[in-house]
Amino acid sequence: MEIKKGIAVSPGISIAKSLIIDSEDYRIPRRPIKPSQRMTETQRARNAFKDAIAELTQLESAQDQTKGGKIKDIFAVHLRFLHDRSLRKKVTDFIHSDMVTAEYAVSTVLREIASHFAKVKDAYISERAADIYDIERRLLRQLLGKKRQNLGHLTREVVVVARELSPTQTAGFDRKFVKGIASDAGGRTSHAAIVARSLGIPAVVALEDLTEYISVGDTVIVDGNRGIVIVNPDQQTIRQYEEYSKEFTDLGHRLDAIRQKPAVTRDGIEITLLGNIEFPNEAEVVLEKGGAGIGLYRTEFLYLNTDREPTEQDHYEAYAKTVRVFADRPVVIRTLDLGADKYTQSRRLAPEPNPFLGLRSIRFCLQNLTMFKKQLRAILRVSVLGKVKIMFPLITNRQELMQAKMILRDVMEDLNDESIPYNRDIPIGIMIETPSAALTAHSLAMDVDFFSIGTNDLTQYTLAVDRGNELVSMLYSTVDPAVLRLIRNVIQDAHKAQIDLSVCGEMASEPEYIMLLMGLGVRTISIASPMIPEIKQIIRSVTMEYCNNVARKVLGMDSERQISAYLRNAARKILPEAF
Amino acid sequence: MKFRDFVCFEATITELQASDRDGVIVELVSSLDKTGRLGKGKCEEIIREVIKREKEASTGLGRGVAVPHVKHKAVKDVIAAIGLSSAGINFFALDKQPVFSVILLISPADEPDKHLQAMESVFKHLQQERFRKFLRQCRTTKHVEDLLIEADEDPSL
Amino acid sequence: MQADEDTLENVVYEAELEIKNAEGLHMRPAMQFVDIANRFDSEINVSNGDTDVDGKSIMNISMLAATCGTKLKIRAKGPDAQEAIKALRELVEEKHFNEPTPKR
Repeated sequence: MEIKKGIAVSPGISIAKSLIIDSEDYRIPRRPIKPSQRMTETQRARNAFKDAIAELTQLESAQDQTKGGKIKDIFAVHLRFLHDRSLRKKVTDFIHSDMVTAEYAVSTVLREIASHFAKVKDAYISERAADIYDIERRLLRQLLGKKRQNLGHLTREVVVVARELSPTQTAGFDRKFVKGIASDAGGRTSHAAIVARSLGIPAVVALEDLTEYISVGDTVIVDGNRGIVIVNPDQQTIRQYEEYSKEFTDLGHRLDAIRQKPAVTRDGIEITLLGNIEFPNEAEVVLEKGGAGIGLYRTEFLYLNTDREPTEQDHYEAYAKTVRVFADRPVVIRTLDLGADKYTQSRRLAPEPNPFLGLRSIRFCLQNLTMFKKQLRAILRVSVLGKVKIMFPLITNRQELMQAKMILRDVMEDLNDESIPYNRDIPIGIMIETPSAALTAHSLAMDVDFFSIGTNDLTQYTLAVDRGNELVSMLYSTVDPAVLRLIRNVIQDAHKAQIDLSVCGEMASEPEYIMLLMGLGVRTISIASPMIPEIKQIIRSVTMEYCNNVARKVLGMDSERQISAYLRNAARKILPEAF
Repeated sequence: MKFRDFVCFEATITELQASDRDGVIVELVSSLDKTGRLGKGKCEEIIREVIKREKEASTGLGRGVAVPHVKHKAVKDVIAAIGLSSAGINFFALDKQPVFSVILLISPADEPDKHLQAMESVFKHLQQERFRKFLRQCRTTKHVEDLLIEADEDPSL
Repeated sequence: MQADEDTLENVVYEAELEIKNAEGLHMRPAMQFVDIANRFDSEINVSNGDTDVDGKSIMNISMLAATCGTKLKIRAKGPDAQEAIKALRELVEEKHFNEPTPKR
């Protein structure tokens, strides 16, 4: 029995057999070969390189320079690597010296190179490790054919164990069978974590070397509450965990029981509780948990996996799938918010020195109008299927908003010309997530139908803290008086302009902060689905009067510590069992 | 797309005579018409379309610039004309500020991508305060042409 | 540029080149370097003082992670060694990989 400690990123307990997947589903066993087979394996390796080069050359020339320029560049880099004779020599030498199969040699050599890259201090070079893995995959595809372990065809309950999980892999998870996630890498904001939380699956990440301790068929306990993974637990441990798990499920059921009940305070004020989703298959979970619609549909997943840009039809199908689940309940689709994350930065050939403040999100879209238009067309087309609203992220000034609206109008005109139906009155809103937007909310409010406050980014930009950086993450707090002041500003401006307002950042899913938000005037929130029952419970346990008092007191305080402590106490009074 | 690919430099008006929005639109479309780029007898029709569209939704982006535009069969490629007004014009921009620089675009009816590429360029440069400032300061059509050509080469402008 | 006669056929040419473009030897310049190096028959070696690598290998060159201002020693050995050094110097020091140099 091995006990490994990592970071708990999604609560719950799960006990099941492990399903180990390599990055991109390849598990290469080390099978020794006979000395006489070395020539064959070497030739296989050489052919794999040749075929991969041919495949890539074709893909690269098929990319249009203007539209697919960046992707073309990436292919060009990969081609150079594949042509690199010292790389090929390393692989064939390894086959000879260690007497292993071509695929084992390719995998081992390339991963070693990737880890060398990853260790280089220059962040830009270390991102190239992702390219090496891509090349490894391409070569392995040649060697192994299309036989891949398909996560979509599971027949029994498993805990997925991997070094790291890519967005494509997590998108295919079927909750019926995937009962837990454990990964070597990752953090609170990695894809595995986000997906696990929205599907309600326990998950532990940053286990560092779990994949080295685990073999096919091992039983695994994933304790997403304490951040522990136990490999091959003994009988006693299993029994303990089964009990613990039952307690936890009972609590879950009690909370689920309020799914049908409305989110209304004790003194009759209704709060609209919506869900945040990233993948279409999360929509059902929101419904199950009692959400009244989708307040934030993140659309980045369409871009994060592939070698090619998604087509308008790709967008349309993903959105249609979600909107149909919700029929006449609101679905707010946020346009592309890509830019400052690992996936897009590693695709660049020339690094941005400060990507977080760089060409990302709506700015990126306004500089890539052909791509942006595809998404806008899909959103407009889907708007006839339900109550769809469109939301632009990271708007910092009115001019950006006007540009975005202008492009949307142009797209509407195109659809008119093509006689394609769409909702002409589609509500248009923006995320308020920068200090500039928050401070000029009164003026922005005149040109939109709704605001949604993105407390995560608003807090980061206001306090100048990267919450993913452990050295300073303790400075991050959404109840810092400066942040609260901005939030209050935005709420008041929205009320004055009589437009809808919601809060979609993590702040809304924290039991300690929800009363404060309500007391400040928030009547609509959008949160990750697993938290919906608990937050609804709190809403049903308080009076708006109490919340107003809480807000009033907090606004009079000027230290974050004081505010936090006060809110914790206030919450404990309402829901003692949650604390 | 670079400015030089679609801006018709001969049609530049460095001091717009009209003092109202519709008048400015008439002036700029007529200017393009004079260069022969609009096909025979389309001028009136195009003016009407641009004004109609402008009435539906202002293209005043704020910060003193406006980009009235329309799609029309009369042109095969995107063409644009620049107009400057030192007095300022009321374009009913919601920041309620007057407009000093107008870029009027006419795009081919069935080539939406060309229109978008031109808009991308326009947006990119109009975002830069320096560019807006320099544009306003131009006194001759040559100044405008030089500025746009320089902006084509220098993304920070 | 210096030339040593190794044998009658294998002339060795060396040069010290300074990386002048602002972003240094990231992927695009590394590709250009390797493309040019591979045009020549001569063996090409690049050293940054600590490591010595094969100048025709994109893997090796990108690992150098040479920043703006770094001086690299280039060594070419073979029948076209002189042309190779010349072409590489032009790319690195005159064209600076067709990229901007640091603003003063």
